[in-house]
Amino acid sequence: MLSLYQPGHGLLHRMPAGSKALALAVAVLALSFLPSSWWAAGVAAAVAPLGYAVAGLGVGVLFRQVYALRWLLAVTLGVQLLFVAPEAATANTSRVLATILLASLLVLTTRIADLLDAVERLLAPTARWGLDPQRASLLLSITITTVPVLARLGSGVREAQRARGAPANLARFVIPFLVVSLKHADELGEALTARGLR
Amino acid sequence: MNRFHLDATDIARIAVFAAIVAALGLPGGFSVFGTVPITAQTLGVMLAGAVLGPWRGALSMVVLLALVALGLPLLSGGRGGLGAFVGPSAGYLFGWIAGAAVIGAIVHAGPRLTRWRTVLGILVGGIPVIYAVGIPVQALVTRLPLEATALQSLVFLPGDLVKVALAAAITITLARAYPRAFRTAPSASTPAPATAAEATGERARHPVP
Repeated sequence: MLSLYQPGHGLLHRMPAGSKALALAVAVLALSFLPSSWWAAGVAAAVAPLGYAVAGLGVGVLFRQVYALRWLLAVTLGVQLLFVAPEAATANTSRVLATILLASLLVLTTRIADLLDAVERLLAPTARWGLDPQRASLLLSITITTVPVLARLGSGVREAQRARGAPANLARFVIPFLVVSLKHADELGEALTARGLR
Repeated sequence: MNRFHLDATDIARIAVFAAIVAALGLPGGFSVFGTVPITAQTLGVMLAGAVLGPWRGALSMVVLLALVALGLPLLSGGRGGLGAFVGPSAGYLFGWIAGAAVIGAIVHAGPRLTRWRTVLGILVGGIPVIYAVGIPVQALVTRLPLEATALQSLVFLPGDLVKVALAAAITITLARAYPRAFRTAPSASTPAPATAAEATGERARHPVP
Protein backbone atom coordinates (compact mmCIF):
# COMPACT_ATOMS: atom_id res chain seq x y z
CA MET A 1 0.00 0.00 0.00
CA LEU A 2 1.47 3.29 -1.06
CA SER A 3 1.28 5.79 1.76
CA LEU A 4 3.30 8.44 3.51
CA TYR A 5 2.13 7.25 6.94
CA GLN A 6 4.83 6.95 9.62
CA PRO A 7 3.82 4.63 12.46
CA GLY A 8 4.16 6.08 15.94
CA HIS A 9 2.51 6.72 19.30
CA GLY A 10 2.89 10.48 19.64
CA LEU A 11 0.24 13.00 20.55
CA LEU A 12 -0.83 13.54 16.94
CA HIS A 13 -1.02 9.79 16.24
CA ARG A 14 -3.55 9.43 19.04
CA MET A 15 -5.75 12.37 17.98
CA PRO A 16 -8.86 11.59 15.90
CA ALA A 17 -8.37 12.38 12.21
CA GLY A 18 -11.04 15.07 11.96
CA SER A 19 -9.95 17.27 14.87
CA LYS A 20 -6.30 16.81 13.92
CA ALA A 21 -7.01 18.04 10.39
CA LEU A 22 -8.86 21.03 11.82
CA ALA A 23 -6.06 21.87 14.28
CA LEU A 24 -3.38 21.66 11.58
CA ALA A 25 -5.49 23.73 9.19
CA VAL A 26 -5.77 26.47 11.82
CA ALA A 27 -2.01 26.36 12.42
CA VAL A 28 -1.28 26.58 8.68
CA LEU A 29 -3.72 29.47 8.29
CA ALA A 30 -2.11 31.32 11.22
CA LEU A 31 1.34 30.81 9.66
CA SER A 32 0.19 32.21 6.33
CA PHE A 33 -0.64 35.52 8.02
CA LEU A 34 2.93 36.02 9.26
CA PRO A 35 4.45 39.26 7.93
CA SER A 36 7.50 39.24 5.66
CA SER A 37 10.06 40.19 8.29
CA TRP A 38 13.13 38.70 9.99
CA TRP A 39 11.37 37.71 13.23
CA ALA A 40 8.58 36.06 11.24
CA ALA A 41 11.21 34.07 9.34
CA GLY A 42 12.56 32.88 12.70
CA VAL A 43 9.09 31.91 13.94
CA ALA A 44 8.37 30.01 10.74
CA ALA A 45 11.72 28.20 10.93
CA ALA A 46 11.02 27.14 14.52
CA VAL A 47 7.44 25.96 13.99
CA ALA A 48 8.14 22.89 11.84
CA PRO A 49 10.78 21.26 14.12
CA LEU A 50 8.47 21.98 17.06
CA GLY A 51 5.51 20.34 15.31
CA TYR A 52 7.54 17.27 14.37
CA ALA A 53 8.83 17.00 17.94
CA VAL A 54 5.25 17.15 19.31
CA ALA A 55 4.27 14.44 16.82
CA GLY A 56 7.15 12.30 18.07
CA LEU A 57 8.62 12.04 14.57
CA GLY A 58 12.39 11.85 14.34
CA VAL A 59 14.80 14.34 12.82
CA GLY A 60 15.23 11.87 9.94
CA VAL A 61 11.57 12.22 8.91
CA LEU A 62 11.79 16.03 9.02
CA PHE A 63 15.02 15.97 7.03
CA ARG A 64 13.51 13.72 4.34
CA GLN A 65 10.54 16.10 4.00
CA VAL A 66 12.83 19.10 3.61
CA TYR A 67 15.08 17.22 1.18
CA ALA A 68 12.05 16.37 -1.00
CA LEU A 69 11.33 20.12 -1.19
CA ARG A 70 14.91 21.17 -2.03
CA TRP A 71 14.17 22.32 -5.61
CA LEU A 72 11.06 24.17 -4.59
CA LEU A 73 13.06 25.95 -1.90
CA ALA A 74 15.97 26.79 -4.17
CA VAL A 75 13.75 28.25 -6.89
CA THR A 76 11.40 30.08 -4.52
CA LEU A 77 14.34 31.71 -2.76
CA GLY A 78 16.16 32.44 -6.03
CA VAL A 79 13.19 34.13 -7.70
CA GLN A 80 12.31 36.02 -4.51
CA LEU A 81 15.84 37.42 -4.26
CA LEU A 82 15.50 38.68 -7.83
CA PHE A 83 12.34 40.64 -7.10
CA VAL A 84 12.22 41.56 -3.39
CA ALA A 85 14.58 42.50 -0.55
CA PRO A 86 16.54 39.73 1.26
CA GLU A 87 14.43 40.15 4.40
CA ALA A 88 11.12 39.50 2.62
CA ALA A 89 12.68 36.78 0.45
CA THR A 90 13.95 34.85 3.48
CA ALA A 91 10.69 35.28 5.39
CA ASN A 92 8.51 34.25 2.42
CA THR A 93 10.58 31.16 1.65
CA SER A 94 10.72 30.17 5.30
CA ARG A 95 6.95 30.62 5.62
CA VAL A 96 6.21 28.53 2.50
CA LEU A 97 8.45 25.74 3.79
CA ALA A 98 6.91 25.81 7.27
CA THR A 99 3.31 25.64 6.00
CA ILE A 100 4.11 22.68 3.73
CA LEU A 101 5.95 20.83 6.51
CA LEU A 102 3.17 21.46 9.00
CA ALA A 103 0.41 20.41 6.58
CA SER A 104 2.34 17.20 5.87
CA LEU A 105 2.01 16.23 9.52
CA LEU A 106 -1.60 15.13 8.95
CA VAL A 107 -0.73 12.36 6.52
CA LEU A 108 2.48 11.44 8.32
CA THR A 109 0.52 10.66 11.48
CA THR A 110 -2.82 9.32 10.18
CA ARG A 111 -3.67 6.07 8.41
CA ILE A 112 -5.40 6.44 5.01
CA ALA A 113 -8.24 4.19 6.19
CA ASP A 114 -8.91 6.56 9.12
CA LEU A 115 -8.86 9.56 6.80
CA LEU A 116 -11.28 7.85 4.38
CA ASP A 117 -13.65 7.17 7.29
CA ALA A 118 -13.39 10.81 8.33
CA VAL A 119 -14.19 11.93 4.77
CA GLU A 120 -17.24 9.66 4.63
CA ARG A 121 -18.48 11.09 7.95
CA LEU A 122 -17.79 14.61 6.71
CA LEU A 123 -19.80 13.97 3.54
CA ALA A 124 -22.70 12.31 5.34
CA PRO A 125 -24.84 15.49 5.53
CA THR A 126 -24.55 15.94 1.73
CA ALA A 127 -26.87 12.95 1.26
CA ARG A 128 -29.66 15.52 1.64
CA TRP A 129 -28.65 17.18 -1.67
CA GLY A 130 -28.64 13.91 -3.60
CA LEU A 131 -24.97 13.13 -3.15
CA ASP A 132 -24.06 9.62 -2.14
CA PRO A 133 -21.27 9.61 0.48
CA GLN A 134 -20.82 5.85 0.28
CA ARG A 135 -20.43 6.03 -3.49
CA ALA A 136 -17.87 8.83 -3.09
CA SER A 137 -15.97 6.73 -0.56
CA LEU A 138 -16.14 3.72 -2.91
CA LEU A 139 -14.81 5.86 -5.76
CA LEU A 140 -11.84 6.92 -3.63
CA SER A 141 -11.08 3.36 -2.49
CA ILE A 142 -11.30 2.01 -6.05
CA THR A 143 -8.89 4.68 -7.24
CA ILE A 144 -6.42 3.77 -4.49
CA THR A 145 -6.40 0.15 -5.63
CA THR A 146 -6.26 1.14 -9.32
CA VAL A 147 -3.06 3.19 -9.09
CA PRO A 148 -0.71 0.20 -8.53
CA VAL A 149 -2.55 -1.77 -11.24
CA LEU A 150 -1.98 0.99 -13.79
CA ALA A 151 1.63 1.43 -12.70
CA ARG A 152 2.11 -2.28 -13.47
CA LEU A 153 0.29 -2.02 -16.82
CA GLY A 154 2.44 1.01 -17.67
CA SER A 155 5.71 -0.76 -16.95
CA GLY A 156 4.42 -3.71 -18.99
CA VAL A 157 3.87 -1.42 -21.98
CA ARG A 158 7.32 0.12 -21.54
CA GLU A 159 9.02 -3.27 -21.28
CA ALA A 160 7.26 -4.53 -24.40
CA GLN A 161 8.43 -1.46 -26.30
CA ARG A 162 11.98 -1.81 -25.01
CA ALA A 163 12.02 -5.45 -26.03
CA ARG A 164 11.13 -4.36 -29.57
CA GLY A 165 13.92 -1.78 -29.49
CA ALA A 166 11.58 1.24 -29.59
CA PRO A 167 13.13 4.42 -28.15
CA ALA A 168 11.64 5.84 -24.96
CA ASN A 169 9.09 8.34 -26.16
CA LEU A 170 6.19 9.84 -24.24
CA ALA A 171 3.79 9.97 -27.21
CA ARG A 172 4.56 6.41 -28.21
CA PHE A 173 4.05 5.24 -24.63
CA VAL A 174 0.81 7.05 -23.83
CA ILE A 175 -1.49 5.65 -26.53
CA PRO A 176 -0.99 1.93 -25.78
CA PHE A 177 -0.97 2.77 -22.07
CA LEU A 178 -4.34 4.56 -22.41
CA VAL A 179 -5.84 1.69 -24.38
CA VAL A 180 -4.85 -0.96 -21.79
CA SER A 181 -5.95 1.36 -18.98
CA LEU A 182 -9.36 2.00 -20.54
CA LYS A 183 -9.80 -1.72 -21.19
CA HIS A 184 -9.08 -2.20 -17.50
CA ALA A 185 -11.72 0.46 -16.73
CA ASP A 186 -14.33 -1.42 -18.76
CA GLU A 187 -13.51 -4.70 -17.00
CA LEU A 188 -13.66 -2.92 -13.66
CA GLY A 189 -17.05 -1.44 -14.56
CA GLU A 190 -18.37 -4.86 -15.53
CA ALA A 191 -17.03 -6.36 -12.31
CA LEU A 192 -18.75 -3.63 -10.28
CA THR A 193 -22.03 -4.16 -12.16
CA ALA A 194 -21.75 -7.89 -11.58
CA ARG A 195 -21.48 -7.18 -7.85
CA GLY A 196 -24.72 -5.26 -7.89
CA LEU A 197 -23.58 -1.64 -8.28
CA ARG A 198 -25.75 0.31 -10.67
CA MET B 1 -32.50 10.76 -14.51
CA ASN B 2 -30.24 12.48 -12.02
CA ARG B 3 -27.35 13.78 -14.07
CA PHE B 4 -25.07 13.46 -11.06
CA HIS B 5 -25.74 9.78 -10.74
CA LEU B 6 -22.65 7.68 -11.33
CA ASP B 7 -23.12 4.16 -12.61
CA ALA B 8 -20.50 1.42 -12.33
CA THR B 9 -18.91 2.33 -15.67
CA ASP B 10 -18.60 5.98 -14.68
CA ILE B 11 -17.01 5.06 -11.36
CA ALA B 12 -14.53 2.74 -13.07
CA ARG B 13 -13.56 5.35 -15.70
CA ILE B 14 -13.26 8.21 -13.24
CA ALA B 15 -11.09 6.05 -10.97
CA VAL B 16 -8.96 4.89 -13.89
CA PHE B 17 -8.37 8.41 -15.21
CA ALA B 18 -7.40 9.67 -11.77
CA ALA B 19 -5.00 6.72 -11.62
CA ILE B 20 -3.69 7.47 -15.14
CA VAL B 21 -2.70 10.99 -14.08
CA ALA B 22 -1.02 9.51 -11.00
CA ALA B 23 0.78 6.89 -13.08
CA LEU B 24 2.04 9.55 -15.51
CA GLY B 25 3.78 11.20 -12.55
CA LEU B 26 5.54 7.99 -11.60
CA PRO B 27 8.62 8.06 -13.86
CA GLY B 28 9.83 10.70 -11.45
CA GLY B 29 8.78 13.65 -13.55
CA PHE B 30 10.60 14.50 -16.72
CA SER B 31 12.33 17.48 -15.19
CA VAL B 32 12.09 19.19 -11.86
CA PHE B 33 13.41 22.59 -12.72
CA GLY B 34 11.23 25.27 -11.27
CA THR B 35 8.90 25.75 -8.35
CA VAL B 36 6.33 23.78 -10.30
CA PRO B 37 7.83 20.54 -11.59
CA ILE B 38 7.39 19.84 -15.31
CA THR B 39 5.72 16.48 -15.68
CA ALA B 40 3.61 14.36 -17.95
CA GLN B 41 0.80 14.71 -15.42
CA THR B 42 -0.78 17.75 -17.10
CA LEU B 43 -0.95 15.62 -20.25
CA GLY B 44 -3.14 13.25 -18.26
CA VAL B 45 -5.31 16.16 -17.08
CA MET B 46 -5.89 17.22 -20.68
CA LEU B 47 -6.74 13.66 -21.70
CA ALA B 48 -9.16 13.22 -18.77
CA GLY B 49 -11.19 16.24 -19.90
CA ALA B 50 -11.04 15.32 -23.58
CA VAL B 51 -12.05 11.68 -23.08
CA LEU B 52 -14.42 11.75 -20.11
CA GLY B 53 -16.17 15.04 -20.90
CA PRO B 54 -16.64 18.04 -18.64
CA TRP B 55 -18.06 16.88 -15.39
CA ARG B 56 -16.71 13.32 -15.26
CA GLY B 57 -13.29 14.68 -16.27
CA ALA B 58 -13.41 17.31 -13.56
CA LEU B 59 -14.62 14.74 -11.05
CA SER B 60 -11.68 12.44 -11.80
CA MET B 61 -9.37 15.36 -10.95
CA VAL B 62 -11.32 16.00 -7.73
CA VAL B 63 -10.84 12.32 -6.84
CA LEU B 64 -7.11 12.49 -7.57
CA LEU B 65 -6.66 15.66 -5.52
CA ALA B 66 -8.77 14.26 -2.68
CA LEU B 67 -6.45 11.26 -2.51
CA VAL B 68 -3.42 13.54 -2.62
CA ALA B 69 -4.92 15.51 0.27
CA LEU B 70 -5.49 12.25 2.13
CA GLY B 71 -1.78 11.66 1.85
CA LEU B 72 -1.18 9.40 -1.12
CA PRO B 73 2.07 10.37 -2.87
CA LEU B 74 0.38 10.66 -6.27
CA LEU B 75 1.85 13.90 -7.54
CA SER B 76 5.02 13.78 -9.64
CA GLY B 77 8.13 13.05 -7.66
CA GLY B 78 6.07 11.26 -5.01
CA ARG B 79 4.62 14.44 -3.54
CA GLY B 80 1.40 14.21 -1.60
CA GLY B 81 -0.44 15.26 1.48
CA LEU B 82 -2.09 18.54 2.39
CA GLY B 83 1.32 20.17 2.02
CA ALA B 84 0.84 20.18 -1.73
CA PHE B 85 -2.21 22.42 -1.25
CA VAL B 86 -0.45 25.15 0.68
CA GLY B 87 2.67 25.29 -1.50
CA PRO B 88 3.30 27.56 -4.50
CA SER B 89 1.87 25.06 -7.00
CA ALA B 90 -1.46 24.64 -5.14
CA GLY B 91 -3.34 26.85 -7.61
CA TYR B 92 -2.20 24.78 -10.56
CA LEU B 93 -3.66 21.70 -8.87
CA PHE B 94 -7.05 23.41 -8.51
CA GLY B 95 -6.57 24.61 -12.07
CA TRP B 96 -6.56 20.95 -13.15
CA ILE B 97 -10.22 20.64 -12.12
CA ALA B 98 -11.26 23.76 -14.04
CA GLY B 99 -9.01 22.82 -16.94
CA ALA B 100 -10.46 19.33 -17.32
CA ALA B 101 -13.99 20.78 -17.13
CA VAL B 102 -13.34 23.41 -19.82
CA ILE B 103 -11.54 20.91 -22.07
CA GLY B 104 -14.40 18.45 -21.73
CA ALA B 105 -17.03 21.12 -22.37
CA ILE B 106 -15.38 22.30 -25.59
CA VAL B 107 -14.24 18.92 -26.95
CA HIS B 108 -17.63 17.34 -26.22
CA ALA B 109 -19.67 20.36 -27.36
CA GLY B 110 -20.89 18.76 -30.57
CA PRO B 111 -22.37 15.38 -31.37
CA ARG B 112 -19.03 14.12 -32.70
CA LEU B 113 -15.35 14.59 -32.06
CA THR B 114 -13.78 17.00 -34.52
CA ARG B 115 -10.12 17.76 -34.96
CA TRP B 116 -10.34 21.53 -34.56
CA ARG B 117 -12.57 21.44 -31.52
CA THR B 118 -10.25 18.91 -29.86
CA VAL B 119 -7.23 21.16 -30.42
CA LEU B 120 -9.14 24.29 -29.34
CA GLY B 121 -10.55 22.69 -26.20
CA ILE B 122 -7.23 21.26 -25.04
CA LEU B 123 -5.41 24.51 -25.82
CA VAL B 124 -7.89 26.74 -23.97
CA GLY B 125 -8.51 24.44 -21.01
CA GLY B 126 -4.94 23.17 -20.81
CA ILE B 127 -3.06 26.47 -20.66
CA PRO B 128 -5.01 29.73 -19.99
CA VAL B 129 -7.52 28.15 -17.61
CA ILE B 130 -4.91 26.30 -15.52
CA TYR B 131 -2.57 29.31 -15.48
CA ALA B 132 -5.42 31.65 -14.55
CA VAL B 133 -5.95 29.68 -11.35
CA GLY B 134 -2.31 28.79 -10.75
CA ILE B 135 -0.54 32.13 -11.14
CA PRO B 136 -2.62 34.22 -8.67
CA VAL B 137 -2.36 31.51 -6.01
CA GLN B 138 1.40 31.24 -6.54
CA ALA B 139 1.71 35.02 -6.25
CA LEU B 140 -0.37 34.93 -3.07
CA VAL B 141 1.66 32.12 -1.47
CA THR B 142 5.09 33.50 -2.34
CA ARG B 143 3.98 37.17 -1.98
CA LEU B 144 5.61 38.10 -5.27
CA PRO B 145 3.92 40.64 -7.56
CA LEU B 146 1.51 39.04 -10.03
CA GLU B 147 3.60 40.20 -13.01
CA ALA B 148 6.79 38.63 -11.67
CA THR B 149 4.97 35.36 -11.03
CA ALA B 150 3.43 35.39 -14.49
CA LEU B 151 6.87 36.02 -15.97
CA GLN B 152 8.28 33.09 -14.02
CA SER B 153 5.51 30.78 -15.21
CA LEU B 154 6.39 31.56 -18.86
CA VAL B 155 9.19 29.00 -18.40
CA PHE B 156 6.56 26.28 -18.56
CA LEU B 157 4.77 27.60 -21.65
CA PRO B 158 6.89 25.80 -24.29
CA GLY B 159 6.54 22.45 -22.49
CA ASP B 160 2.81 22.98 -22.06
CA LEU B 161 2.37 23.82 -25.75
CA VAL B 162 4.11 20.56 -26.63
CA LYS B 163 1.77 18.74 -24.24
CA VAL B 164 -1.30 20.37 -25.84
CA ALA B 165 -0.21 19.20 -29.28
CA LEU B 166 0.54 15.74 -27.92
CA ALA B 167 -2.77 15.48 -26.04
CA ALA B 168 -4.76 16.52 -29.12
CA ALA B 169 -2.96 13.98 -31.31
CA ILE B 170 -3.43 11.26 -28.70
CA THR B 171 -7.15 12.05 -28.28
CA ILE B 172 -7.76 11.84 -32.04
CA THR B 173 -5.78 8.60 -32.30
CA LEU B 174 -7.55 7.14 -29.27
CA ALA B 175 -10.94 7.89 -30.83
CA ARG B 176 -9.89 5.45 -33.59
CA ALA B 177 -8.04 2.93 -31.44
CA TYR B 178 -10.65 2.65 -28.67
CA PRO B 179 -13.86 4.49 -29.58
CA ARG B 180 -15.74 2.96 -26.66
CA ALA B 181 -13.80 5.28 -24.37
CA PHE B 182 -15.70 8.31 -25.68
CA ARG B 183 -19.19 7.03 -25.00
CA THR B 184 -20.63 9.30 -22.38
CA ALA B 185 -23.48 6.94 -21.59
CA PRO B 186 -22.44 3.45 -22.54
CA SER B 187 -25.20 0.90 -22.15
CA ALA B 188 -24.41 -2.69 -21.40
CA SER B 189 -26.44 -3.79 -24.41
CA THR B 190 -24.14 -2.23 -27.02
CA PRO B 191 -21.12 -4.50 -27.41
CA ALA B 192 -19.16 -1.95 -29.47
CA PRO B 193 -20.28 -2.73 -33.01
CA ALA B 194 -17.57 -2.01 -35.55
CA THR B 195 -19.59 0.51 -37.54
CA ALA B 196 -18.25 2.90 -40.11
CA ALA B 197 -18.95 5.72 -37.66
CA GLU B 198 -16.61 4.21 -35.12
CA ALA B 199 -13.92 3.56 -37.69
CA THR B 200 -13.86 7.29 -38.41
CA GLY B 201 -13.70 8.09 -34.73
CA GLU B 202 -17.23 9.31 -34.26
CA ARG B 203 -18.24 9.58 -30.67
CA ALA B 204 -21.61 7.92 -30.40
CA ARG B 205 -23.70 9.72 -27.81
CA HIS B 206 -26.65 7.52 -28.49
CA PRO B 207 -26.28 3.82 -29.25
CA VAL B 208 -25.54 3.42 -32.95
CA PRO B 209 -28.52 1.82 -34.68
